[in-house]
Order: sequence, then structure tokens, then C-alpha cells
Amino acid sequence: MARSPMKDQIAIVGVGSTGFSRGDRSPLSLALEASTAAIRDAGLTAADIDGVVATAEAGAASAPLVVSSLGLTEVSHHSRPAPLIMFSLLDAAQAVFAGTADHVLIVTPVMMSSWNSRRATQDPWRRGARSSILPVPEDSANANAYATWAGRYMHEFGASKDPFARIAVNSRSNAAANELAAMRKPLSFDEYHAGRMIRTPLNMFDMDYPADGADAFVVTTAQRAAQLPQPPVLIHAATTGVYGKNTEDQLPSLKRHGQHVVVDHLKARSDLWIDDVDLFYPYEGFTIIALSWLENCGFCEMGGAERYLAEHWNDERQRIEIDGRIPLNTHGGSLSEGATRGTGHLREAVIQLRGQAGARQVEGAKVALVTPGGFFFNSQGAILRSA
Amino acid sequence: MADPNQSEQKPADGDLSDAELLELFAGHGVYRDNAAQYRGRLDGQLLINRCADCARYHQPPRPMCPNCWSFDVVPTPVSGRGTIHLLMYLHAGPPADGVDYHNGGHPVVVVELEEQEHLRVTGTVHEFGPNEPSIGDAVELDFLDRGGAPIVAFRPSHPTELNHPTKPDQPSLQEHRSQD
Repeated sequence: MARSPMKDQIAIVGVGSTGFSRGDRSPLSLALEASTAAIRDAGLTAADIDGVVATAEAGAASAPLVVSSLGLTEVSHHSRPAPLIMFSLLDAAQAVFAGTADHVLIVTPVMMSSWNSRRATQDPWRRGARSSILPVPEDSANANAYATWAGRYMHEFGASKDPFARIAVNSRSNAAANELAAMRKPLSFDEYHAGRMIRTPLNMFDMDYPADGADAFVVTTAQRAAQLPQPPVLIHAATTGVYGKNTEDQLPSLKRHGQHVVVDHLKARSDLWIDDVDLFYPYEGFTIIALSWLENCGFCEMGGAERYLAEHWNDERQRIEIDGRIPLNTHGGSLSEGATRGTGHLREAVIQLRGQAGARQVEGAKVALVTPGGFFFNSQGAILRSA
Repeated sequence: MADPNQSEQKPADGDLSDAELLELFAGHGVYRDNAAQYRGRLDGQLLINRCADCARYHQPPRPMCPNCWSFDVVPTPVSGRGTIHLLMYLHAGPPADGVDYHNGGHPVVVVELEEQEHLRVTGTVHEFGPNEPSIGDAVELDFLDRGGAPIVAFRPSHPTELNHPTKPDQPSLQEHRSQD
């Protein structure tokens, strides 16, 4: 067992969300609504917050700007990690664990922007960020990488688009019951397969849905959490991981990348693993990422997702239920709730573990596996548990 | 092979200044550590950084060998022969001369070079005629011109052997993109 002194010592005690839509508010406005909601949810006030973790997401406010806009007196920890929520959660948790701050606010707004939304290029408030120098089309980095490696996956394992479709349909079916979600209209398999191709083999339904919104969280010690109003959710294990050969076109194979690093480190630090989890939140900024998390976490063998998802499909509810028990992305994920960079996956896990998910509630859920990020530079994961 | 540091004083291709190189390849992501590779394209060469100490190639170009930490890395011409490892089609993207995002899309390939396992370059493909490029196809380098800037492209090494419609046991990318 690897060293894991922070296990169960840090709790998420507040969450706040604006919900996600194609709106007309600034990222700061969304960030402040989510922040105040999360602080109130935690039963705290501005005077209690002594740490702020902002995000380096494009257009998002810096930590000092959040501090001044919230009217905080002063904070002893502030930072601005890369997007994708586990960078923020780990930073906040480590600050509390180290004693740098006691009640840390994490705030993570996202905005549809000119690089991921054609509509945003028509919006004078957003298009300013677009560079006048056009990139070269022959690029295998970033989003293109998931199309190239999805094609490689299909080639190596003889997979069809069926498992990709199941990830997309599952997210949409679950989003129907989530009032925070941007896309709640059901998606059929026929509609999925007829989706406009963007980067063959990936179509528009294989890619997250750009939207505006913000999530916020409050993190403190497990001891302090016991005195606060919400049922505490403990961080049992959390990690990020990057593989050495992580340049998108140089990755030696699908057998080893950031997801494998994350899984190995989580398993080495956790008393709980997939047989113990009630909830699974595999990030699906692209469908191939969720299929890979499913396989790399060990629910099935590499290349086995097509068979496995067909076997664990609830046809009546049009969604995945592993062993009839573990649903995936109960909030609708990045494909349907909105492109939240994993903040929605984390928030939904917390709400489910509190038993507050209403019509979406998984009865008796006590342990959640949350795995944001792709293969190359933002793979990450956490195991959360109710106290 | 010329000393790569020499290019900082006197460009190997003659008279293109650093500013002119950056302007010619605007949007390609040229910076100090890969400028030699772009200058190589102007001479019709695909240059890959190779360590003078341990002889390993690496990609993309770095100022230091990630295998042995030597700074003696030399942009070295390679054969340009390899096999298609990754393949996709773009159906939308930045406008560029000669790039058609419709009619099946614009192919982007990652080719594994014969010089070293897992050593790859990204580019496009052409001259496949009625055949569809597939993962595993043998290809060779053939730069395309785009407004004076050579673009990395590949063509089939053995065009006559490419009469394989998609292999029956493999999923066809064409099958998916035909819906476009």
C-alpha cells in the first residue's frame, strides 16, 4: 500500500452550480453565483473562506479577482490550476491538509468559446479571443488526437461505433432528469448514428456540448465537516497522472497512458475499488475517453467495451447500469449536461453521496469513482465516500 | 550534417531570416526548438532530431535528448518511409489552400517512420486514387506546397498493391464518414 496520509481527512462540504446553458452572462457573474451558492450550502459565510482556488480556463477570473468580487477580507491560499476539476480539488485539499487554509473555495466557470463553438464566433463578447493566425489543419494534437486514437481503437479491437453510441445515449438519458443540464431531449441510436461528422470517426454526439455555467465547491477538514450542516463527503483517494511519452502522436500504444497511471496510483492508495463503488463518473469530453476509463479501471478487458456495454444496458431506461446496479454519469456528463471539464461529474457524485439527487438518486450510494480527463495531459481520478 | 547552431547565424537554406521563416509558416507553431525542421522542409528534407551521443531519434523536436540528456541533438534527414499508424478525416476546420473539408473530409495521418519504433510524424495523404488509405499502409514522404510553405504529406509506397478495399475484419472509417 502506498503512502496516503490524506485519506479520508478532507471533506467536500459545499456545492453550488448555476446549471449549464447557452447564455449571455459573463464568466465572473456565473462564478460568483456558484461561489455564493456553495458557501451558503456549506453553512458558511464570506468571513470563513480563507482560500480560493480559481481555474486557468480561458476567460475565467483569477483568484484575486474572485476574492475581491466576493468581498473577502483576505485569504492565505490562492491558486489557478489548469482546467479539469481534479487539479483544483487536489490543490484545495492539499492546502487544507497542510494547514495553509481552513475553508477553501473552488470555483470553475466554463464558457462556450470560439475554439469549440461556431456560434461563439458570431458573439462579439466572445470572438475577440480568436487569433487572426489560422492553425494548420494537419494537426494530431488536442481534440484531433481523440479522433485519431478512436480510429486506432476501432482498428485494433474491431470495434464498431455501437459502444460510442451507448456512451452518448446514456448521457442524454440521464440528463433528462437533471435540471442543471443543457441538453435534456432524449437521443436515439438512429439520431446518434446520423450525427454530423466532425472528425471521422467522431461525430457531433461524440463531443462534449459547449455551454456556459459554473460549479463551485467548499473543502475543509473532516473534523470541521462534522460540525457543518451537509452530510460530509470524504476524499478517500485522489490523484492526477501523466505518462512520459504523452505527446499525442507519439503515444506508443493505447496500453499505457495517463489513465493507466491514474488507475495504478488510485488503487495503491485506496481501500475501495470497483467492486465497492456504487457510482461511476467516467469523463466523456469525447466518447472514446469514457470507453477507455471503463476498460482501464478494469470493469472489462481492453477492447471489451462493446460487448460489456451491450450486456450491461438497461433497454427500458436507455442507459448503462453495471450489473444492474452502477449507473454511469447520472447527471448527463459532459456530452449532455454541458462541457464542464469534469466539475459536473464531481458535483453530481457529491450530491448522490449526500442522498440529495431526487429523481436521479441511486439508493444507498456510499462510494463514487470519479475519473475526469483524457489520455495525454489531464488524466485524473478520485474515490469519494460518504462519512 | 551541418552544426544546427550554425543556422542561427546563417540559415542553411540561404537567405530566409527568422522573421521570414515565422511569417511563411505562420500557424504551424514554429519556435526556436523546431525552426530547423521547417528550414529543412524548404530544402525538401524531413528532419528529425537525433542524439549525437546515444543515436536515438525523438519527436517532436526538443533541445535535449530525452533518452540520455545530451544537448547534442542534430536535425537529421530521414527516409520519409513508414506506415500509417493513425488516420482521421476533418470535416470542419480552419480554411487552408487545397484543403476540402467536404466530399469525405480532409485526411490527417500519423505515420510511423521506419527509422525507429514509435517515431512518428503528422501530415496528410494524397495520390491514393480510388483507394482508401488504411492504418498499416506503407507510405512515403511527398511534400505539398501551400503558398510557398511545404506541408508534410504522404503517398502510397506501392500504389499497385493498394487494391484492398477495406479488410473485411476491420471497421471502415469510410463507412462512417460517408454519412457526412
